[in-house]
Amino acid sequence: MAKYAMVVDLNRCQGCRACTEACKIENNTGQGMFWMHVFRFEDGAFPETRMSFLPRPCQHCDNAPCVKVCPTGARFKREDGIVLTDPDRCIGCRYCELACPYGVNYFNWQKPKDSQYSDVISWDDPDIQAITGGAYPPYKNPDLDKEWGPEGRRTAGGNHAKGVMEKCTFCVQRVEQGSLPACVDTCPVTALRFGDISDSESPVSRFIRENEAWSLLEEAGTKPSVFYVGGKPPSHSYKEVERPKARV
Amino acid sequence: MRRNVTAAMIAGGIVLMLVGYLGAAPWGADTVANSDPRFSFAPAVFVIGVIVALSAALVYELMPDRRNK
Amino acid sequence: MATQIDTHPTALPQQVGQLTTGWKLAMGASFLLLVVGIVAFIRELSTGMIATGMRNVGTMGGASWGLYITMVVYFIGVSFAGITIAALVRIFNLRQLRPIARIAELLTVVFLLMGSLAIIVDLGQPVRGVINLFRYARPQSPFFGTFSLVIAGYLAASLIYLYLGGRRDAAKMAEYPSRLQRFHRWWAAGYSDTPEEQARHRKTSFWLAVTIIPLLVIATSTLGFVFGLQVGRPGWYGTLQAPAFVTLAGVSGTGLIIVLAVIVRRMVHDKTALGIDVFAWLGKFLLALVIVYLYFMTVELLTLLYSTPEVEKQLSDALLFGQYAWIYWGSVALLAIPAIGLMWQALTRRWNVGWLVAAGIAVNLAAIGKRFLIVVPSQTHGTLLPYEVGSYSPSWVEYGVVLGLFGLGALMIGAFVKAFPPLPLGDREEVTADA
Repeated sequence: MAKYAMVVDLNRCQGCRACTEACKIENNTGQGMFWMHVFRFEDGAFPETRMSFLPRPCQHCDNAPCVKVCPTGARFKREDGIVLTDPDRCIGCRYCELACPYGVNYFNWQKPKDSQYSDVISWDDPDIQAITGGAYPPYKNPDLDKEWGPEGRRTAGGNHAKGVMEKCTFCVQRVEQGSLPACVDTCPVTALRFGDISDSESPVSRFIRENEAWSLLEEAGTKPSVFYVGGKPPSHSYKEVERPKARV
Repeated sequence: MRRNVTAAMIAGGIVLMLVGYLGAAPWGADTVANSDPRFSFAPAVFVIGVIVALSAALVYELMPDRRNK
Repeated sequence: MATQIDTHPTALPQQVGQLTTGWKLAMGASFLLLVVGIVAFIRELSTGMIATGMRNVGTMGGASWGLYITMVVYFIGVSFAGITIAALVRIFNLRQLRPIARIAELLTVVFLLMGSLAIIVDLGQPVRGVINLFRYARPQSPFFGTFSLVIAGYLAASLIYLYLGGRRDAAKMAEYPSRLQRFHRWWAAGYSDTPEEQARHRKTSFWLAVTIIPLLVIATSTLGFVFGLQVGRPGWYGTLQAPAFVTLAGVSGTGLIIVLAVIVRRMVHDKTALGIDVFAWLGKFLLALVIVYLYFMTVELLTLLYSTPEVEKQLSDALLFGQYAWIYWGSVALLAIPAIGLMWQALTRRWNVGWLVAAGIAVNLAAIGKRFLIVVPSQTHGTLLPYEVGSYSPSWVEYGVVLGLFGLGALMIGAFVKAFPPLPLGDREEVTADA
C-alpha cells in the first residue's frame, strides 16, 4: 500500500502563491479559505530584514489530533495516509479545527457559491464552447463529487455544503487517478514534491533522506506526512506580512 | 421479586454499556474501521445502558407490593 | 398523616397554582426573551453560522468556538453543582439542607436542557448532529463523555431524583382538590407513606447518590478534557483543566442555588421555610469552593508567568494586560470580593441573605467570564504557527440565542414552582400552623 507524503523545498520556494491559486481553482474553495496557504514572513528590523516563505497545506498527520477528537468519525485517516473529511457525516462542531495545531481547517460559515471564480462567464455560451472545446470548467469537475477509496465516501470536497468542515485533501480525486495534487503540479520552481514514502527508493523518499528533512511543530507529536527541506522552523519572532486578510 | 428485577436492570444496564462501549471504541479494530463503530448506533446502546441502570431505582420504588394486588 | 388542611381549605400550600402578578410579569419577560432567541436562531439557520461572530482560526483570524461553547460549559457546570448538592444531602444526611434538595435538582434538570440546546445551536448541522452522535459517537473523542455521561447520565439521574424525592409531597398535594390534582396523583403513583415505602426511598436515594457522585466527577472531568487534552492549543493543554473545571462548576452552581432559594423563599411568603442555617451552610460551601478556585487560578498564573514559552507569552499577555484583561481581572474581582464578604460573614456568624444573593450573582458572572477566557483567547492568541493574532466578539444572533436559552430556563422553573411545591412539605407543618 502506498503511503503518500509531500516535501516542501524551502530553498526553492519564492512565495509566489501559485500553489494557493491552483488549489482554489481545482477545489473551488470559498472566499477566504486557503487549503494551501503560503506564509510570507519578515524577520528582524529594517534594514536588517529577511523574508522567508512557508507553504502550509494540511499536514496529513499520522497521529492526527483532528481525527482523534472528531466525535462522529467524519474526519478519518486512510491507509494511504491521506486525512479526509466526510461532509455527509460532519455535524459541524468544529472541534477538529481547534485540535489542529496548524490551523488548516476551514468551516463553511455560509452556503458556498457554486462557482467561486469565473461566475461572469457563461460556460454554455457557444463562443466560450468554441474555445474550450466543450470541456467542463474545473469547478464542475464531476470527480469532486465521486466516492473515493475503499471507504466509498464523497471526500474530495467538491460538494461544499453549509455548516460542515473542510480542508486540504491532497487532491484525492487527482491522486487516485495517478496525477499529482494541483499545488504540486503547478509549482513553477518544483518546490513541492509528492510521492510514495512506503517505497524507500521513490524520488520523494530519497529526497527526504538526502536533505535532512524536518517537519512543522515536531514537538506537538503529530507526525506529519508533509516534510520541509531547507530553511528553518518559523519562530514567533517572525512577523506574517502580506497576509490574505479575508474573513468571509 | 423487587430485588431481582432491580438487580437484573442494573446488570442489564451495565451489559448494555459494555456492549455499546466496545461497539463504539476502536480496540482491536483496523485503521479504516477506526472511524466507525462496529455496528450502527452503538453509542445509543451505551446511552440506553446508562439510563436503564439508573432507572432500576424507579422500578425498585414503584413496583407494587404483591400483597396489595 | 396529619396535614393541616383545615387552615386553608382551598389554597394549595406554597402558592402552588396561584398565578400572582409578579409571577406573570416574570414569565412574560422570560417568554419575550425566548422569542428573541427563537428569532435569532432562525436567522442563524437560514443564513448559516456567518450570522454569528465566529470565524476560522488561523488565516481568518477568528475564534471557531465562542459564546455558545462558553455557555455550554457554564450551563453544564451549574447543573453539576445542583445534583452534587442533592446527592451530598443524601449521602451525609445533611438534615438542614434537605429543604433545598428539590431546588437543586430542578436547577440541574433545567440547566442540563439549556446546556444541550446550547450545544445544538453551536452545530453547523444541528439535525444531523443529534442523529449522528447516537449513530457514530466515538469514545476516543472527549465529546463522548459530554454527550453520553453528562447528558444521558445526569439528565436521567436528576429526573429520577426529582421524581422519587417528590412522591411523598405529591401524595400530600393530591389530597387537595385542585386542577392539578390529577398531576399530583400521577406523580405520587400510589405512594402512601408507609414505613416500608419510606425505608425503600431512603435506600434508593442513598445508593443513587453513591453511584452518582463518581459518575459526576468523571463526566464533568470529560468536559474539562475537551480542552485539557489539546496539545495544539496553548492555554488549554494542562492537567489542571479538569479539577479546575469541576471546582468552578461548584462555585457557579452553589451561587445560583442561593439565588433561586431566596426567590422561592420570597415567593412562598414564608421566611421560616428556609432558615438562615441553610444559607449559612451554602455560604460556607460557596466560600470554600471560591477559595479552592482562587488557589487554582494562582497556581496557573504563577506557572504561566514563571516559565513562559514564546507562544504562551503572547496568550498570557493578552489575558493579563491585553484585550482580555478586563474580563480576567473583572472575574478575579468578582470572585475575590464575594470571598472576602463571605469570609467576614462566616467569621462574625452573621449571615445576610441580600449579601449572599449579591455574592451568588457575582460569582456566576465571574464563572461566565472565566469560561469565556478558557474558550476564546487560546484560539485568537494561541496559534502555534505565527499567524497574526485574531479577534472575536459575539454577534447579536449569539446574544439573542443565549438570552433565549435563559428565558426558556426561567419559564421552565416558573412553570414548575407553580405546579409543585418547590420546598418539601413535611417538616414545616407545625410552623404553618403557628403562623
